[in-house]
Amino acid sequence: MTSSPASLLTEIGDVQVPLLAGMLLGGSMSKAVRMVRGQPIGAALGPTVLFPVRLRHSVAAGLCVVELAFGVGLIATAGPLLSGASAELVRFGTGLLFVVATCALIELRSVRPDIGCGCFGEFSSAPITGRIVARSAALALAALAIVKLPPIQVPDTAGRAALVVFLLVAELGVFAALSPELRDVLVRIGYSEPCETRVLGPELAVAAIHRSAQWRRHASLIVDRKPTDTWRELCWRYVVFPSRHGGRSADVVFAVYLPNRRPTVLAVLVDSSTGAVLPWPADVAARGFPRARGRRARPAPRRVPLGPPVRRAASPSGRLGPTSQQGSRTF
Amino acid sequence: MIGTGACCERCPGATAADVSTIARRRLYKAAVFSPAASSAARGRVLHVGSAVAAHLYRAVTGQIVDVSAQVLVLGGVSGERRFVLTPDATAWRGGPLRPSALRPGDEVVLRLRPGRPGVADRVWANIGRVSGTILRREGDAVIVSAGVSAATSGERVVVIPPQASGRIQVRFPNLRPGYLIDVIGMQRGGVLEGVIPATSQPPYRGDLVPVQASASGRLPESITGAAIWHDSVDEPHGVLGVRYPALDPSIGCAEDRAAGFAPGHAPAYRDLPYLSVGSSLLVSNECTGASWTFPVTGCAPVARLFNDRCLTCGTSPRGRVAELTLASFVALGGELEVGCFNATLTIGR
Repeated sequence: MTSSPASLLTEIGDVQVPLLAGMLLGGSMSKAVRMVRGQPIGAALGPTVLFPVRLRHSVAAGLCVVELAFGVGLIATAGPLLSGASAELVRFGTGLLFVVATCALIELRSVRPDIGCGCFGEFSSAPITGRIVARSAALALAALAIVKLPPIQVPDTAGRAALVVFLLVAELGVFAALSPELRDVLVRIGYSEPCETRVLGPELAVAAIHRSAQWRRHASLIVDRKPTDTWRELCWRYVVFPSRHGGRSADVVFAVYLPNRRPTVLAVLVDSSTGAVLPWPADVAARGFPRARGRRARPAPRRVPLGPPVRRAASPSGRLGPTSQQGSRTF
Repeated sequence: MIGTGACCERCPGATAADVSTIARRRLYKAAVFSPAASSAARGRVLHVGSAVAAHLYRAVTGQIVDVSAQVLVLGGVSGERRFVLTPDATAWRGGPLRPSALRPGDEVVLRLRPGRPGVADRVWANIGRVSGTILRREGDAVIVSAGVSAATSGERVVVIPPQASGRIQVRFPNLRPGYLIDVIGMQRGGVLEGVIPATSQPPYRGDLVPVQASASGRLPESITGAAIWHDSVDEPHGVLGVRYPALDPSIGCAEDRAAGFAPGHAPAYRDLPYLSVGSSLLVSNECTGASWTFPVTGCAPVARLFNDRCLTCGTSPRGRVAELTLASFVALGGELEVGCFNATLTIGR
């Protein structure tokens, strides 16, 4: 696969057209989706806030239409059918649009550093950074650089096709690196969501407790299966059941690590009035419980992630938790 | 019964038993993870949020009985209290002024020097704040709901005097129903006379908040955002605590439920970890370096609606992450008339 420098430049130019069209259509579609959902696009974050309130909706709608027109225009004029002056006009207009957008972003960053660029609707809610300005400037440069580009030809050899694909992927990578919106898109499609921000109801935790070996071991101490309190912190949910110990009121406190498919369950017996940790009664601690039918009893977990940034240390009893110095978590 | 005693302090029917249950959470958490250290936590748990360390400011509120350039006397049910004013002490009553220009009868917030309980260096007179959604206008008055719906919060009345009208309308061009407002001013009876816009008005209506960016992967090691103070009519002065905008959605805010939001679908702040009432938060003022651990005392339904930034010492990288009580805000060195400071939150101490 060998290419002359001129040929390589042509291939690079060919790649810009679908890339620019994709960015414009993506931006237009994200704004259109807001309209379809009934959300006012004039209220979307972005350069529209530079305009008076009464004009924002019109400006946002106009921008949506212009992006759509240039996106479609770039694709329509890419081939030999509409080449020449019309193609040059569309590409120049696209470049001009991105130049204006870059200037608007710079202005917006200085006068309203708190709002996002709105480039891709609600995905672009993060404050404008140098990356976003650089992306807009790069797109302007790409559009202006291909004004005189001849009509795009379908690659005639496998080598050329591979080169085009390589260039496209490489440039997509560059723009992905310049796009903070990508992170939100991945979250939306379920790529990864931290357990700390996942909606996990208390019913899950109570069900996990009822399935756990800790529950089977200490159920006889619990005087009421109805929890007296339950709360959540980060990935852990705490459930408190009333108990009795030595004739005094006590509480059995369960802590459940929610994200695990088989949630980890820890338990402790606490004096209700003083808050002191009480030893488990010997007869209960020594008592064996029948294994759950059809399931193999699982040993207590050796390491339990408390949360990604937290380092842990094992307590002498084998329970795991934050040490006194490590029990804090900055987020 | 899931969720007993776990809702906001403003939940209808919240009782002393609920408060007691919530206060034990920190203790129980310590017992689960480090039983040996839980006895130490037993001692600490009573002090979280109940007193301020010697290195922090203290806020005292009361009504002026007498004032001079050097001494200020506050009256109250517990009798008169005298405070020495430092030579560089400043005062605020709609604007900066000399402390001696304050008048008997003014309701003031005194900031006491760290470690010197009888010495004040800052006085705010009749200061108040209204932050919420505009319900309607009645002449010069703007009626504001301090929650996400009128059903869960009392209405507050803001009057914008002509001399402050331009300043406020520049930052809050839309004083129509549904839009957000946040102004600091002077309390006159049950009305706030708006003097200072506390932020810029978001371009959207309060019921059409743009969806916030969600978190992905690991949450960042540290999140710094804006901490503001709130002026709650049903909260006694001197209470230390923080309202947090991302409470566990399964219990959530009374305001969220009243507004009909399903769990986890309340507007904004999908990238803050879920906590509960009773969780401890170490709040650090990035502008002064002061920090202290406060208990989460409730949700912050209005804070989530503002996607603004604090500009006190640089631009905060994100919006409102904490709504401090007046006393907590002053303790960390915040200036009430400024309205916010950049803060970093740490959980678990």
